Amino acid sequence: MKIFKSLLIALLLAVITPVSAQTADEIIANYFENTGGEEAWNKLEGIKIIASANAQGMDIPVEVYQLKDGSQLVKINFQGQDITQIAYDGETMWTTNFMTMQPEKSDAETTANMKTKANDFPSPFLNYKEKGFDVELVGNETIEGTDTFKIKLTQKPVMVDGKEQPNVSFYYFDTENFVPIASEAEIPSGPMKGQMSKSTMSDYQEVDGLYFPFDMGMAGQNVIVKEIVINPEVDKTMFAFPN
Amino acid sequence: MKKLLLFTTILLLLPITLSAQEVALKGKELFGDMQARHIGPALMSGRINDLENHPTNPRILYAGTAGGGVWKSGDGGATFSPIFDDHAQSIGVVTLDPKKPDEVIWVGTGETWTRNSVSIGDGLFKSTDGGSNWKEIEGFEHSERIASIVINPKNTNEMYVGVLGALWSDSEDRGVYKSADGGNTWNKILYVGPSTGAADVIMDPTNPNVLYASMWQFRRTGWGFNSGGTNSALYKSTDSGATWNKIHNGFPAGKLGRIAVAVAPSDGNFLYAVLETEEKDKNGLWKSTNAGQNWEHLNNDFGLTVRPFYFSRITIDPKNPDIVVKGGLNGSISRDGGNTFKSLGQMHSDIHDITFAINNSDIIYSGTDGGVYRSWNGGTTFEIVENLPISQFYHISTDNETPYNVYGGLQDNGSWWGPSSSPNGVEARDWNSVGAGDGFRVLKHPTKKIIYSEMQGAENVWRYDVEKNRTKTIQPLKNEGDADLRFNWNAPMAVSAHAPDRFYMGSQYLHRSEDMGDNWTIISPDLTTNDASKQDQSKSGGLSVDNSGAENHTTIFTIAESPLDENVIWVGTDDGNVQVTTNGGKDWKNVTANLTGIPKNTWVYHIEASVHGKGTAYAVFEGHTSGDMKPYALKTTDYGETWNSIISEDIQENAFVRNIQEDYINEDLLFLGTELGLYVTINGGKTWSHFTNNMPPVAVHYIDLQKATNDIVMGTHGRGVIIIDDISPLRELDQEVLSKDVHFFQNQPFTMVEESGFGGNFGAETQFVGNNKSSAARIVYYLKKRHTFGKMSMELQDMDGNKVSNLNAGKSKGINVVNWNYTTTNPKMAEAKTVSFGGFVSPRVPAGKYKVVLTKGKDTYEHVIETTYDTNSLATLAERKEQEKLTKTLFDMVEDLAYMVYEINTLQDKATEVIEKHPKGKKEAQSLFNALETLRKDLVVTTGDNYVASAENELREEMGELYSNVATSYDRVSGSQKQNLKRITSQFEAEKAKYEAITKKEVVKFYKFLDKNDIPKPEIKTKDAFLDRE
Repeated sequence: MKIFKSLLIALLLAVITPVSAQTADEIIANYFENTGGEEAWNKLEGIKIIASANAQGMDIPVEVYQLKDGSQLVKINFQGQDITQIAYDGETMWTTNFMTMQPEKSDAETTANMKTKANDFPSPFLNYKEKGFDVELVGNETIEGTDTFKIKLTQKPVMVDGKEQPNVSFYYFDTENFVPIASEAEIPSGPMKGQMSKSTMSDYQEVDGLYFPFDMGMAGQNVIVKEIVINPEVDKTMFAFPN
Repeated sequence: MKKLLLFTTILLLLPITLSAQEVALKGKELFGDMQARHIGPALMSGRINDLENHPTNPRILYAGTAGGGVWKSGDGGATFSPIFDDHAQSIGVVTLDPKKPDEVIWVGTGETWTRNSVSIGDGLFKSTDGGSNWKEIEGFEHSERIASIVINPKNTNEMYVGVLGALWSDSEDRGVYKSADGGNTWNKILYVGPSTGAADVIMDPTNPNVLYASMWQFRRTGWGFNSGGTNSALYKSTDSGATWNKIHNGFPAGKLGRIAVAVAPSDGNFLYAVLETEEKDKNGLWKSTNAGQNWEHLNNDFGLTVRPFYFSRITIDPKNPDIVVKGGLNGSISRDGGNTFKSLGQMHSDIHDITFAINNSDIIYSGTDGGVYRSWNGGTTFEIVENLPISQFYHISTDNETPYNVYGGLQDNGSWWGPSSSPNGVEARDWNSVGAGDGFRVLKHPTKKIIYSEMQGAENVWRYDVEKNRTKTIQPLKNEGDADLRFNWNAPMAVSAHAPDRFYMGSQYLHRSEDMGDNWTIISPDLTTNDASKQDQSKSGGLSVDNSGAENHTTIFTIAESPLDENVIWVGTDDGNVQVTTNGGKDWKNVTANLTGIPKNTWVYHIEASVHGKGTAYAVFEGHTSGDMKPYALKTTDYGETWNSIISEDIQENAFVRNIQEDYINEDLLFLGTELGLYVTINGGKTWSHFTNNMPPVAVHYIDLQKATNDIVMGTHGRGVIIIDDISPLRELDQEVLSKDVHFFQNQPFTMVEESGFGGNFGAETQFVGNNKSSAARIVYYLKKRHTFGKMSMELQDMDGNKVSNLNAGKSKGINVVNWNYTTTNPKMAEAKTVSFGGFVSPRVPAGKYKVVLTKGKDTYEHVIETTYDTNSLATLAERKEQEKLTKTLFDMVEDLAYMVYEINTLQDKATEVIEKHPKGKKEAQSLFNALETLRKDLVVTTGDNYVASAENELREEMGELYSNVATSYDRVSGSQKQNLKRITSQFEAEKAKYEAITKKEVVKFYKFLDKNDIPKPEIKTKDAFLDRE
């Protein structure tokens, strides 16, 4: 009888209690827990991503380096030539002019905005409080056909065309496994200004105990990750503007 | 105990029964990747209700539109983006928090310029993040129209909301509301009665305790309008809304109509009001210079008195109280304190709101029936904002061209037709005007290049010969002995599926023409209720007579000839009658009494005669003009003898229905156009799902299913034409499909469309450009669950299993759509100093069958698709095959060259290494290096850049260019190209021979040196490894 009673209560609870209300902090904690643990994420010094951008019949090789100190580099390969698309060494952000194939510095505003994002690695949610960011659970939303928690992330303001603007993005965490499956941010400038750009993440796979999305999509273009190297050996001069 | 046991058993069973239940996916879960696309048009834009400036940032401006949501500009009005796409699109007012204008935005829904065709609102909303997310504020669910939101700039928790309220019925939700806690709780602080709403609430900018409220007694019916009454009044409060007093000192006695009121931002003593009174010469502009203590009449020019229900906005220059602008037919501006006015510069007529830029009064923004306009010179010249696709369609239709065209008529913006797709997207210049005045129904002649269109009340019905550019008016005219013809404002017309020259129109009678409108026969008695009490529109309007024809009533509104039998014709009237003939109009049967659950005299908005049975039809009803917003849709299968409701509780309770479209294949698949967006059922109406993928809850006035493409085309009243491409997958959805892990939907063979024209968005930088339908193969599949962990990929293979291309797999739960543009992969190009653009060209595949292979973890799913050549091809099949063969020859040649250059580079690297590290071998290494370098310089570009410093073309560039031209051509390979191929082939052969010679001489010597000195030979990958085609 006692067993029955407790079983009944348990069942009643299971049926009646809705999925217990989550806070943004719990969701974020669950995310890190499910993807390797906060401690392991904190130990991560850098990553190298070897990937391929698929665009209707073309597979363009892409290499991405991201380090804890904010250094980063995106390199693509066209016809055997490495082209640095974006690089940043903590001070200077630069790109390659496709006409001349020569490096050119990014404008001051873009560089300054990059600097404010320098401690996003490996995730802006990791130690977000120390970074001075704000998170808020906005509610549940169906994204990619799936129930998600919508979390609003407010980072340090950025400058847009000479004016300071809030830096807000939204992350959608799958309610089942707490990993983000999509993110959205308003396009701050240019002809698409004011519209939302959406990215999707899927194919999460484990690399040395940490889980990363291996398929990232944006506006119908996907980057398919082939390999992720944890704490890669890098020659830091590659991030610097070539003299 | 027994009870407990039973209970436990039930509970234990619960999960099991649940899992055995039907898969009931809704909305975004079901529709997944199926996205609506918007094609505008924006060139004539649509009605604006309210404009709102940012208080400190002159770049930011908001437009609250009559039926198309809220749009934000961050560039001083050059371009706008929508920020309110999840809620009702009919907007009354937009207000920013004075202290946090970047974060806190308030939107009151429901347009307030109460013409006959207005949409309804759905409450009060607040965003705290600049418009990314919105929360509905409790207490305003039944407000229908919100005119004002006013916030105390010193204490932003204190705010006021003016509810104008229901247009077609009494409502106790009207009045002025106050919140002292930032909108959490509200008190109604001014209420006059159920027929009198708050037309405007304003605050003295210098003293937030002082408020003015204009209260308006008004009512609309399906057949008339009444503005004015003894309850209309202008009130003032000096104690933050605690007490209110009328301030009519100087105003004429008697009834008042809609009152416009404004206080000068620079001086709270200056008030302007515009009155509608019983004394015609006292109408127009009044002014007070002592904060409303007394009033002086200044002006009753046309521009100040015209249509007060439609134009009651006064705007005062932020710095100068003598500069006053009044909305109106053209808009009027005074620079002498309201004594005299001149019209604003040319722009679309019907100006509803005006704002001055905050720091520069030369810049004026104007909200009209045709969009937002900007002036840079104080209102003398105006230019239109070109990217507000908020056109308001009453009706649309499609034709059978490729790509098909969309035809439709717009509120106050004539009639138009334009393509559903166009090179570079559907631009403003793709649209063609085909009517004047207000536009309604526009129909293409089924076989000839002739378009029928009309203006309000069938005052003109046009037959337009597109090729000859000739117009003829063809509306049915009154014959001797006939009663006066009563046409609806939006008069129905129809063409026949059985006789192409047949053309129907409805007044109170059904008119039929067999010769495209030249001669007409009346084929019915008066099919309406002919209720005389609803037929006198000459006095409509109230204090200001407003007999535009918009209120004509007791008319036929919808005509449907059965696609299966030309003798079966359905007619629905605006006063609630459903009538049917089964003998081509000889006899009519009024089946209104058989309707179930439809209140008497409810407007029959649309009848759809089914393709699934001669006696089958759908009828939708809407009673919004009597205040009944409930959705109604019925189906009959026996010529109207019996009817069943196909509405479920999934449809929002106030989403009244204007249109229904059946699928031509699956009788259970239906599309419902409501005041609050599109609903879809896959089970004949048992359950409905709101379609929200890039589809705002805008009023859908008309839906067409384009037969050849299976596209759902919607005429919306506020967001232009919206299309959902190819809905055929929805036909297959049933429980069996929904319970599968992966299901590929069937597709027809895909035509590989051959098009290679010029486009160029010249001058379209700030224009709206509509999205095109992709001509790619649409691979559509259903996933039961979103794929998040582990690998999932998709590739295309030929029927032998060889990879043709990688595809980006969609991973959503529900329906996924992946496009494939019929190409395989691009060739690997030889490495050089610069980029050869031929290397970005992927060859098209031959027509035939291909396998889509989806790999999800350990499971593999396959689906076969077929591609066919374009029947409009310039090339014969033999020529196409030759083009494919030569493309392949060139593709292989490009890669052969790439491999050869790779070998050369690898050898040169080794030679360089030896030169640097092994001086003994310098001679052999140097001679090898030099021989290879001479060769390499003939093969690829070794200097210059990708722009004007580019070097002369070498073999790689010439080969790449020819490859690209042959591969991308839709015509046969030309003689010149074949000659060119011959030359390049022989040059390549010659270069290969030189390389061969080097390998026999310099390479042999070099390798001998390496062997002798135990230096490892260079590692040269095999060609397959180099090409890396895994």
